[in-house]
Amino acid sequence: MSDRSTAGETADLPAEPTTPIRVDRPAETADDYTTTELLAVAAARQIDDGETAFIGVGMSLMSGILAKYTHAPDCQLVTESGYIGSVPPGVVQSISDTILGVDALVATDQCEIFVDNQRGAFDVGIIGAGQIDSRGNTNSTAVIGDATYDRPKVRLPGSGGSNDIMTSCGRTVVMMRQQRRAFTTEVDYVTAPGHLEHSDRREELGFVGGGPAAVVTDMAVFGFDDDGEMVLETTHPGVSVDDVRDEVQWDLRVADDVETTPEPTRGEVAMLRAIDPADVVLRGTDYVYEVGFEEWSDTVLEHWEQLRTVQNDTDDSR
Amino acid sequence: MTHAIDATDTATRLAEVGDDAADHEKVTDLVSAIEEYVTDGSSIAFGGMGGRDPEAAAREIVRQGTTGLTVLDDARTTLFDIMVGAGCVDEYVGSWVGTSLISQGHNVRSAVENDVPHHLEMRDVSNFGSSLMFLAGAMDLPFVPTRSMLDTDIPTHNDDLAVIEDPLGSGDPLVLVPPARPDVAIIHVQRCDPMGNAQILGNVVNDHLKARAAEHTIVTCEELVPTEEIRRRPELTRIPFYTVDAVVEVPFGSHPWHCYGKYYADLPFYREYGLRSRDREEFLEWLDEWICPHEEYLEKVGADRLATLEHMEQTINGADSAGETDE
Repeated sequence: MSDRSTAGETADLPAEPTTPIRVDRPAETADDYTTTELLAVAAARQIDDGETAFIGVGMSLMSGILAKYTHAPDCQLVTESGYIGSVPPGVVQSISDTILGVDALVATDQCEIFVDNQRGAFDVGIIGAGQIDSRGNTNSTAVIGDATYDRPKVRLPGSGGSNDIMTSCGRTVVMMRQQRRAFTTEVDYVTAPGHLEHSDRREELGFVGGGPAAVVTDMAVFGFDDDGEMVLETTHPGVSVDDVRDEVQWDLRVADDVETTPEPTRGEVAMLRAIDPADVVLRGTDYVYEVGFEEWSDTVLEHWEQLRTVQNDTDDSR
Repeated sequence: MTHAIDATDTATRLAEVGDDAADHEKVTDLVSAIEEYVTDGSSIAFGGMGGRDPEAAAREIVRQGTTGLTVLDDARTTLFDIMVGAGCVDEYVGSWVGTSLISQGHNVRSAVENDVPHHLEMRDVSNFGSSLMFLAGAMDLPFVPTRSMLDTDIPTHNDDLAVIEDPLGSGDPLVLVPPARPDVAIIHVQRCDPMGNAQILGNVVNDHLKARAAEHTIVTCEELVPTEEIRRRPELTRIPFYTVDAVVEVPFGSHPWHCYGKYYADLPFYREYGLRSRDREEFLEWLDEWICPHEEYLEKVGADRLATLEHMEQTINGADSAGETDE
């Protein structure tokens, strides 16, 4: 794994038409990818073809778009601002980014989206969080520490749709950075309901959603057992089980046969880099700010054009 | 679009209906609309959500130095962070605050964690919870029930919410969401007529509910259009005239955010805001630079830059954008 130095290198690749984007041997393991790219790919693979996927902003939206452009072309993306079935030609800057309107099936309101969500219309949701406990309860409201909810140590953005998604989506995937302070024995504030205090609790409450089914981090992928406890399932290349244990506060359950997380393919990595030309999500760099307005707009337009071309090719081949 | 009645004939016919005679007094300018409906201590709901946000209206509130505001909302981005940093806001009721992918809301964090410039009280709900508080307000009901937020700390720390068992006998626990009744809703849309019929292209978020829940509604629009233009695409009207008190034409009223079918978000602009708002002194310099009358603001941004943002939006949402085809 290494850091990539420049954006947009896919433009120089051979023009031989392949899927999902013009790159040689797309199904082969990528020989150059970052940890963040692996995280995005691992989360994308949690979405199955044909599913309806409820996604938030940032990394979760990136993974949804990646799934749509790679192994799950028939998945339908849903966003809480009101879009269903979007085919965005690039990275989404906000929950009402107008590129969510590109080739969308539905543009409606937020209340309607969550009405459908509460009835169980959506198969899988992807959320982020600041803290998580062993039962998958998440906190995205406030890291309180020794302080109070009113004046917390760190005020986080808040629930957004994460509470509603975790309550009612068929299953929920949580994307996080693997850090000991985040994988905590007890979250400071339960924003979104995981498997709660016992495994029947969600049913008692009348939830249609199954709750957290997977946690994908930059070190590993976790599932949940029948008790509702988090279980380590795969570690990323070069990461040991002990490495992961060091970043978890509780006594972590580990599957009998922990394997290595499948690496991203050349096609997946090329597609990710095409989706995020300005490195906003994947690398969090100051690239956009440093290049200034003109280069930013030229770069974004160029990459939209590239992805729209791929879309058209895909449409023609069906 | 094809129309059974030719547009010219329609105009002639409608002259006799009387649309033109009423409600022209709703059309005003941004300064007057904010002066009239947003005063110290007001509660406000803003439209949009990281797209179609009424940024120009919020900057005007800051420019007028209004204080003691409560913001009742769903998810709120830069405009809220600016207002908090400028000391306009005392309380927030909603689901999410930040500046989207670019950064956290630095002013929001400073206010909540460290009382800078003064304390901001937070009252959390989930996103569905925020939709429902506006639905309850729009329906004039004391509450709307939901399963969202059950068994979490959201009701624990928000005394406005109540958890009950279904009184009709299913045994299901439910969270009751009380109504939001803001003094004023400020909604930015693509098109509106002098009567206040506001047409929204693309997603609607909670704007149709906010306008109905609020005591008063200000609609700012990219384009003020004749009522006959509204009548040609009635399916786009999400906010009807009877919920609207003031209509203001504010081109690029959502800059630096997106406005579907009109212009793309100015990412470098709000990136710069994200960086400069990390430091109190730099933020105050940002305020000095950018809090000014909207026309002056647009001149500072620059016509070429705005034209590029329009071109970007046309590239992705130009072909079939409603409204354009009729013109």
